Amino acid sequence: MTAIVSAAEVTRRYGEGEAAVDALRGVSVDLPAGGFTAIMGPSGSGKSTLMHILAGLDRPTSGTVVVDGVELGTLDDKRLTDLRRDKVGFVFQAFNLLPVLNAEENVLLPLRIAGRTPDREWIERLIATIGIGDRLTHRPAELSGGQQQRVAIARALASRPAVVFADEPTGNLDSASSEEVLALLRRSVDEFGQTVVMVTHDPDAAAFADRVLDMEDGRIVSDRRAQAA
Amino acid sequence: MIRAALRGMAARRLRLALTALAIALGVTLIAGTYVFTDTINTAFDRIFSTSYERTDAVVTPRQDEDLTEDQTPSLDGRLLDAVRRARGIADAEGGIFSPGGLVLDKHGKRLGHGGAPTFIASARSTRRFTAYTYAAGRAPHSVDEVALDKSSADNAGFHVGDSVLIQGVTPKRRYRLVGLTRLAGVDSFGGAVVANFVLGEAQRVAGKVGRYDEIDAAARRGVAPEEAARSLRGALPRDVTVRTGSEQAADLSSQIRKNLGFLRTALLAFAGISLFVGAFIIFNTFSITVAQRTREFALLRTLGAYRGQVMRSVLAEGLVLGVLGAAAGLGLGIALASGLRALFKAFGIDLPSTGTVIVGRTVIVSLLVGTIVTVLSSLLPAVRATRVAPIVALREGVVLPPGRWARWATPIAVLVTVLGLGLLAGGLFGGASSSTALSLTGGGAAALFLGVALLSPRLVPPLASAVGRPIERMAGITGRLARENAVRQPGRTAATAAALMVGVALVAFASIFAASAKTTIRQAVENGSRAQAIVQNTDGFSSFTPQAGTAVARVDGVKRVSVIHFTGGRVLGSKVGIVGVDRELPVLYRVQSGAAALGQLGPRAVAVSKGFADDHDTKVGSVLRVTTPLKTTVALRVSGIVQDDGHLVGDLNVSTDTANSDFGASQAGVVLVGFDPAADPKAVRHRIDRLLATRYPQVEALSNNEFIDQQVNQINQLLFLIYALLALAVIVSLFGIVNTLVLSITERTRELGMLRAVGTSRRQVRRMIRYEAVITALIGGVLGVVLGIVLAFLVSRVIDDFHLSVNVPSIVALLVLSGFAGVGAAVLPARRAARLDVLEALAYE
Repeated sequence: MTAIVSAAEVTRRYGEGEAAVDALRGVSVDLPAGGFTAIMGPSGSGKSTLMHILAGLDRPTSGTVVVDGVELGTLDDKRLTDLRRDKVGFVFQAFNLLPVLNAEENVLLPLRIAGRTPDREWIERLIATIGIGDRLTHRPAELSGGQQQRVAIARALASRPAVVFADEPTGNLDSASSEEVLALLRRSVDEFGQTVVMVTHDPDAAAFADRVLDMEDGRIVSDRRAQAA
Repeated sequence: MIRAALRGMAARRLRLALTALAIALGVTLIAGTYVFTDTINTAFDRIFSTSYERTDAVVTPRQDEDLTEDQTPSLDGRLLDAVRRARGIADAEGGIFSPGGLVLDKHGKRLGHGGAPTFIASARSTRRFTAYTYAAGRAPHSVDEVALDKSSADNAGFHVGDSVLIQGVTPKRRYRLVGLTRLAGVDSFGGAVVANFVLGEAQRVAGKVGRYDEIDAAARRGVAPEEAARSLRGALPRDVTVRTGSEQAADLSSQIRKNLGFLRTALLAFAGISLFVGAFIIFNTFSITVAQRTREFALLRTLGAYRGQVMRSVLAEGLVLGVLGAAAGLGLGIALASGLRALFKAFGIDLPSTGTVIVGRTVIVSLLVGTIVTVLSSLLPAVRATRVAPIVALREGVVLPPGRWARWATPIAVLVTVLGLGLLAGGLFGGASSSTALSLTGGGAAALFLGVALLSPRLVPPLASAVGRPIERMAGITGRLARENAVRQPGRTAATAAALMVGVALVAFASIFAASAKTTIRQAVENGSRAQAIVQNTDGFSSFTPQAGTAVARVDGVKRVSVIHFTGGRVLGSKVGIVGVDRELPVLYRVQSGAAALGQLGPRAVAVSKGFADDHDTKVGSVLRVTTPLKTTVALRVSGIVQDDGHLVGDLNVSTDTANSDFGASQAGVVLVGFDPAADPKAVRHRIDRLLATRYPQVEALSNNEFIDQQVNQINQLLFLIYALLALAVIVSLFGIVNTLVLSITERTRELGMLRAVGTSRRQVRRMIRYEAVITALIGGVLGVVLGIVLAFLVSRVIDDFHLSVNVPSIVALLVLSGFAGVGAAVLPARRAARLDVLEALAYE
C-alpha cells in the first residue's frame, strides 16, 4: 500500500538554549492509505505534537512531511489552506462546530468555504451513516456530546479528504457515545476507504484501530497491530 | 461563511445594537442638519421666487452685502421716473423694506425673538409687485394703518382692529392693525417681524423720506426681462444695481444660503465629533469580539478558510452594522430636524419650515458616512483576526499574537501627537485664509486626540493607580480587583476612556474659553469705560437712531455723550471693522495710546489700531484706499495710531461724519454717557430710562456692570447650546463604556463564577464592576481635562489680549461628572455580572 502520510526524521524543539524542550526527537513513519492508525502515549509523549505536524498545523524544527504526495515544508499559508480544504479533515476533542449553524450547515461548512457544490448523494449517505437524520436542523447546543462528535466526523468526511486527523475525539464522551463515535470512524475506513489517524490515550479506543504507534519522550517506541478489544 | 457571520451577528444582538447606536447617533446629527438647513433654504427660495414672480427687473442700491449688515443704503426717489420712462418698461413701483423698526407687544416689550430683525415695509399698490396675501383683513390705505405678518401678530395676540405701537427712526406711534399678511403661503418670514405701511408712512418710519429701498419694474408685452434690465442699466446712473426678477430672487436666496452655510458647517462639525467618538467605540467593540472569537476563527481556518475570507467576514459584519446604524441614524435625523428647530427656537432663533425637505444628497451622505466610518474602524480588528493560527482551535486560553507593527506603536503614537500639535499650530498661528486655517486646526485637533488615544495604553496603569488608590482605600478588595481589571488589558481600557476623553476635552475647552471670554470682557469694560451708562439696542447688537443719543445728551445731569457708529470696509485685501467716533470718545473711554488722534479726526482722516498698523506696516501720513459698503472707494489719511486693549476701538477709526457720508453708516451702534459728577447718578439714570422708554423704546441704558452681565449672559447662552451639541458625543462614549463592560464580563464569566464560589457577594460583584467603570471614566476625564486646557491655551494665544482663566471649580465638576457617568454606565453590566448563576458560570466555555 502507498503511504498517504509520511514523516522523515521529524524533530520539534520549543524554546532555545537551556530552556529548550524537545517534543519530538526524530520521528519517521509511513501511514498507508485506507488504514486506521492510533497514536498513543502518556501526556508529554509528543503524540499531539506529531499529529499537528503531520496535519500541517505546525512546522517541524527539522525533517520532512509529505501528505498525499505534497511536501508540507515548501508550502506557504495559502497552499497550506488549500491542503486543509482538499486533503485533510479534522475532528477535535471539543469545539468542533459553529454554535450559530445547525447540524446540516455545519456538515456543509468546509465545502461552502471552498465554494464547492456538495455531492448531494454522498452527503446524504454520510448523514444517514452518522444516524442523526431527525436532528439535522438542530443547533449544537441542542445535541448531545456524542451527536456533536458524529456531526463533526461527517463534516470531516464531507469533502472526501485524503486523511482524517482526530485528536482525542472521545475525550469528553461517556463510554456509550465513545463507542458510537469510534464505530463510525471504523465504518468510514471500512466502507468508504477513508484513512484515519487518531491520537488517544485510551487503550479501548485504540483497539478500534488497525495499527497502533506508541510514543514516549518524543519518539515512537513501538509499532504494532492493534489487539482485538 | 457569510451566513455564519450573519447568524453570529444575530446571536449577539444586544451587543451589536449598542454599537450600531453609536454610529446612528453621529449620523443622526448629519442627517438632521442637512434636512434642517435644506428645509429652511427651500422655504426661503420659495418665498423669494414667489415674491419676484411677476417682476421683470429690480433696481437696488449698489452695496457690498458682506459689509452693510443692518445699515442699508437707499435709492433716490427721482429714479422712479427714469425707470418708468426707460425703453421697454411698462410700469414700475418703488418700495421700502428696511430692517431696524420696533413693534411693541401688548406688554410694551419688543415683539420678535432675539435674533430676528423687524422690517418696515411698504404695501404695494400695483398687484403684480406685491407678493403678500392677506390671511385676514386688507392692506393699509391710510397713514395710520398697518398690516403685520400673521405669525408675529399671532405671537402677540393681535387681531385685526387692534391698535399697535410701532417705532422706526421716528418716535413710537399708534397704528390700527388692518390686515395680517402671508408671504408665499408662509406665516412667518424667517421669524422676522414685518410691518406694512402705505408708502409715504413707510418712508417716514424707516427714515428714507423721498427714497426707496428698491424699484420693481414690469416690461412691456413682448419684452424679455433681460432686455428690460439692459435698458434700465443704460438709463440709470452707475451707483445702482439692476437685475431681472429671477436674478434678484436667486441673489437673495444665495445670501441666505451663505449665512445658513455657516450654521450648517458648525452643526456638521459637531456631528463629525460624534462620529469620531463612534469610531473609537466601533474599533474597541470589534477588537474585543475578535479576541473572543479566536477559537471560531481558528476552526474556520482549519476547515480551509483563507486569511482573506476571515478578514472579509469581519468586514462584512462591519458593513452590515454600518448600514443598519446609518439607516437608523437617517431616520432619527429626519426626526431630529424638527427637534433642532425647537432647540434653536428655545434660544430665540425662530426659523421657517414649509414641509420637511429630504434630498437625495442627504440620504446618500448619511448612509455613506456611517457605513464608511464603521468599516474603517473595523479594519484593524479584521486584519488582526486573520492572524489567528489554525492550531489555536486545539488549544485553550489563547491570546492574539501582537501584530507586526506592535513594536512601533509608541513611536507612531508620539509621531501622530506631534503632528497634531504641528497642524494645530499651523492652523492657529500660520495666518492662512480662514477656511484653510479652520481645516488645519480641526485636523490638528483630531490628530492630537488620535495621538493621545494611541499613547493612552501606556498611561492607563499610572492613571488607574492614581484614580484607583482612593477607591481601593475606600472599598478594599473590590476596589483592588477593579483596578487590576482595568489595567489588565490597557489597550481596551484606553480605547474606551479615549472615547470619553474627546467629549470631556471639548466641554472643558468650551467652558474654559467661555470663562476666559467673560473675564476678558469684564476687564476690558472695567478698565476702559469711563462712562456711567451705556446705551445700546435692546437686542444687544442692532444699530439705532442717533437721535436717541442726542436726546440723552439733553437730559438733566448728563454732562456728555459719545455716539459710536459701526460699519466695515475692505482695505489692503482684507475685511476690516470701521468705527465712527466723535470728539467725546477719548474722554469717556480710556485707550492706552493715541487718544489725541482719536479725538481730532477730521474729514477723511483715520486713526488705525496698533494691531492693524503692525500687520500692514502703516505709518502716520500713509494713505489707505478703502472700499466702502456702498462699493465706492475712498482715500483716508492716517492721522494716528491707537492702542486699545479693550477692543472697542476698531481697526480703522473715522469721524462720525465720514462714517455717515462715505460709508453710509447713519445709525448708531452704542452711545457712552458721562454724568455730571455733581448730579445724583440714580436720578440721572432714572431720567434717562424714562426718556428712552417713552420715546425710544428699542434702546436701553445699562450701567457698566449691567452691560457686563448682559454680555456674560449671551456667552452663557451660546455655551449651553454648545454643551447640548457636545452632549451627543459624550452619550456615544458612554455607550462605549457600557459595551466594553458587557463584553468583558462575558469574557470573564468563569472568573466571576469562581469569585462567587469563594464567597464574593452579589453586591460586591456589582461594586467591582461599578468601580471599574468609574476608573475607566475618570481616566477619560483626566485626559480630557488636560487636553481641553492645552487646546484652550493654544487658541487663546491667537486672540489679542485674551486672558486665559481656568475656572477650577468647573474643571473639578467636570471630573466628578465623569465619575458619575461611569457609575451610570455600569448599571446594566453590573446587574448582569451579579446575576450570573455560579455553577453555570463555572461551566461556561
